[in-house]
Amino acid sequence: MAAHGSGERSLDAMTVGERGIIASLDCEPTIARRLMELGLTPGTVVELIRRAPLGDPLEITVRGVHLWLRRSEASRIDVSPA
Amino acid sequence: MSRPPEAPPRRIAILGNPNAGKSTLFNALTGLRQKVGNYPGVTVEKKTGMIDLPSGRRAEVVDLPGSYSLQPASPDEMIVRDVLLGLQSDTPPPDLIVFVVDATNLDRHMYLALQVVELGRPMLLVLNMMDAAAALSMRIDTVALERQLGVPVVGISAAKGEGLDALRAMMDRDVEPSTRHFREWPAHLMRVIDRLERRLPERADLPQRARRDVAVAMLLDRGEDDALARHVPADALQDARMLAHRLDEFSPNWRSGDVTGRYDAISALVAESVSAPPGERRDTRSEAIDRVLTHRVWGPIIFVVLMGAVFQSVFAWAQPLMDLIDWAVSAVGSMLGQAMPPGALRSLLVDGVIAGVGTTLTFVPQIAILFLFLSLLEDSGYMARAAFIMDRVMAKVGLSGRSFIPLLSSFACAIPGIMATRSIDNRRDRITTIMIAPFMSCSARLPVYALIIGAFVPNRWVGFLTLPGITLFAMYFIGIVAAVAVAWALKRTVLRGGPPLYVMELPPYRRPSLRSVLTTVRERSLLFTRNAGTVILLITVVLWFLASYPKGSEAVRAIEAQRVAALQAGDTAQARALELRVAGTNLEQSFAGRAGRFIEPAIAPLGFDWRIGIGLITSLAAREVMVATMATVFNIGSADEDVHPLRQSLRDAVDTRTGLKAYTPLTGLSLMVFYVLACQCMSTLAVVRRETNSWRWPIFMLVMMNSLAWLASFAVYQGGRALGYGG
Ligand SMILES: Nc1nc2c(ncn2[C@@H]2O[C@H](COP(=O)(O)OP(=O)(O)OP(=O)(O)O)[C@@H](O)[C@H]2O)c(=O)[nH]1
Repeated sequence: MAAHGSGERSLDAMTVGERGIIASLDCEPTIARRLMELGLTPGTVVELIRRAPLGDPLEITVRGVHLWLRRSEASRIDVSPA
Repeated sequence: MSRPPEAPPRRIAILGNPNAGKSTLFNALTGLRQKVGNYPGVTVEKKTGMIDLPSGRRAEVVDLPGSYSLQPASPDEMIVRDVLLGLQSDTPPPDLIVFVVDATNLDRHMYLALQVVELGRPMLLVLNMMDAAAALSMRIDTVALERQLGVPVVGISAAKGEGLDALRAMMDRDVEPSTRHFREWPAHLMRVIDRLERRLPERADLPQRARRDVAVAMLLDRGEDDALARHVPADALQDARMLAHRLDEFSPNWRSGDVTGRYDAISALVAESVSAPPGERRDTRSEAIDRVLTHRVWGPIIFVVLMGAVFQSVFAWAQPLMDLIDWAVSAVGSMLGQAMPPGALRSLLVDGVIAGVGTTLTFVPQIAILFLFLSLLEDSGYMARAAFIMDRVMAKVGLSGRSFIPLLSSFACAIPGIMATRSIDNRRDRITTIMIAPFMSCSARLPVYALIIGAFVPNRWVGFLTLPGITLFAMYFIGIVAAVAVAWALKRTVLRGGPPLYVMELPPYRRPSLRSVLTTVRERSLLFTRNAGTVILLITVVLWFLASYPKGSEAVRAIEAQRVAALQAGDTAQARALELRVAGTNLEQSFAGRAGRFIEPAIAPLGFDWRIGIGLITSLAAREVMVATMATVFNIGSADEDVHPLRQSLRDAVDTRTGLKAYTPLTGLSLMVFYVLACQCMSTLAVVRRETNSWRWPIFMLVMMNSLAWLASFAVYQGGRALGYGG
């Protein structure tokens, strides 16, 4: 991952129980659009709830909804500290 | 209640996010007056039901698949978009959209609702789960919502049946469509959309009011939108792709501007109309359950125990029911047999039709019991957790966690397993899962394995295991390895596609409603008997014919004469033996028997002779029929009560040309490997045909599996001989 400004890092790098604010989605455009339609728009608060028993996927909550997504996507979502 | 009989029913579509409670509402409104079918050409299920509105007018209600967006990401969502835009020729756009949202989660559920409001069609917004909202002390100002959205709003609780009368009354009224829009396209994007809209041909299948939405869809499409390709000329799509490309360079975020616009509108909407107690709304109960059920250690353990219990129940509970059905079917058969004079018609009815009905019905207990558990797991919310736990494992073969349970179910029987793949939203993953499901050794293979292991594998201890046990395990293992290999190959060739997005909602845990669980069980069982059942019946009758005709050859008549002579001499034992020989010789000389000989050159390299060939052919009805066929071929009557004489016959069988033993342990191994991999179950093919809505996939399955089986058995037999294990 490239260096991030002002404490930004990827969703994947957060610790369990930590919250952040979505800064940007650097995924393939249709995937980015889909994730945003599911509520992961920039400026939204996300919380990393847990990692699956085998380390992947990740459970997050966003806009009151619990979702799981794979690390491959999570690593392309940048968050800034809440 | 007097109404003009010719009044066409009002068309109403129920729509909403997954888990909004659409099915619960649909069931509550229609009761059991439902019809389940498929949308033509796709694998998406179409559920419709009739209701009587308060005025006496009738309405046809369609339960559309749950969706997140009108920009489709799955076949289900594509259907929803097509129905709403009027692109779906068999389902005209509804007169009224009943949009269902989870009132406790407007933040997310309103996204699709706003998209649908923007379509400018008559619509009602139904706030479902008002009971749950009340429990959270939320208050929702429906008047404010109506004002902001421009559509009527009603609060209900579908599960408790509250508010349904008010809803029915509203469904009866004519509704003015809303004119609201919640996002503005920037001017440069507007120009592009206008330009694409003008490129669209004037065609009946492109309704005027859908043209703008079609233009937007064209711009956002990345070549995966099959429906667009049907309605829009290829050069216009090409144009759209080029324009999208240019936009990408010019304003990178153009694709999602409308998404943020709508979510901003939702925040404002919710702030004005929802008052919730201060502090964060969290479902603490679900979170507490999840701390156990998806725990790093307990999660997988509970998962394994739960799956074991489900699997065991399907096995254990289905068996007595299947035996009961078997018993009832053969009772009907023998009653009919006694009532009718012997002859072709009796044989057709008893051995063809009734046996075919029996085969179909014996699948029903497994289907019913499996779907009982699956819908309990699904409706309680556990299914999404199971996929969460297993995703990593399934990702290794290019699938996702959702494929796990259908594959596990296939160890009992591939038919309910394949039917369970409906919960997989990614089309390519679903087809891959269907294609590999029959490699899981199902319970119908067990009698065949047992026969062959019993005949050829010595009961020796190897460490703390027995050789038969190891062999049986190896057969299951070979199936799994083949499944992994085929999944891997399919995902890299015919089922390759763009980067998939695996994301799944973890809904709050809810107590499943018995009614909806039972509806699912009933629906699945009926669907199977009605659709696959007819095919299975037909095939059984054809196989019956092949195994019974032509009758009464010279050889048979000669044995028959001996039998009569023995009977007259009072030698009943001899007469019985000769009777079995009549049956054996009849089978041998039937079309199936001749086919067995005909295919012998093809299966000889696998170590099989024509007698096994007959077994392979009759196995097409169901794998376990192999055992009965071999018993007939070897003139030992039924193998039901005692399989030992048949095992002995297999060991002693002699190759008439060489005078040597016909079968060796190596033949047995080769035959078992063949049964692991070969597609011999016509019922499976009938279900694949129904679930994929095409003949392409069942034919592919048949060819692929049988080629694989032949090659593997060839490798086993010829390899074994080369290593000196042939004798
Ligand atoms: N508390 C409460 N629960 C409800 C209500 N309506 C539905 N549910 C529950 O919500 C869950 C989801 O309901 P479904 O009817 O399966 O939802 P759906 O929208 O059809 O979902 P999909 O089939 O996934 O598209 C089930 O567990 C229902 O029992 C309600 O009014 N109140």
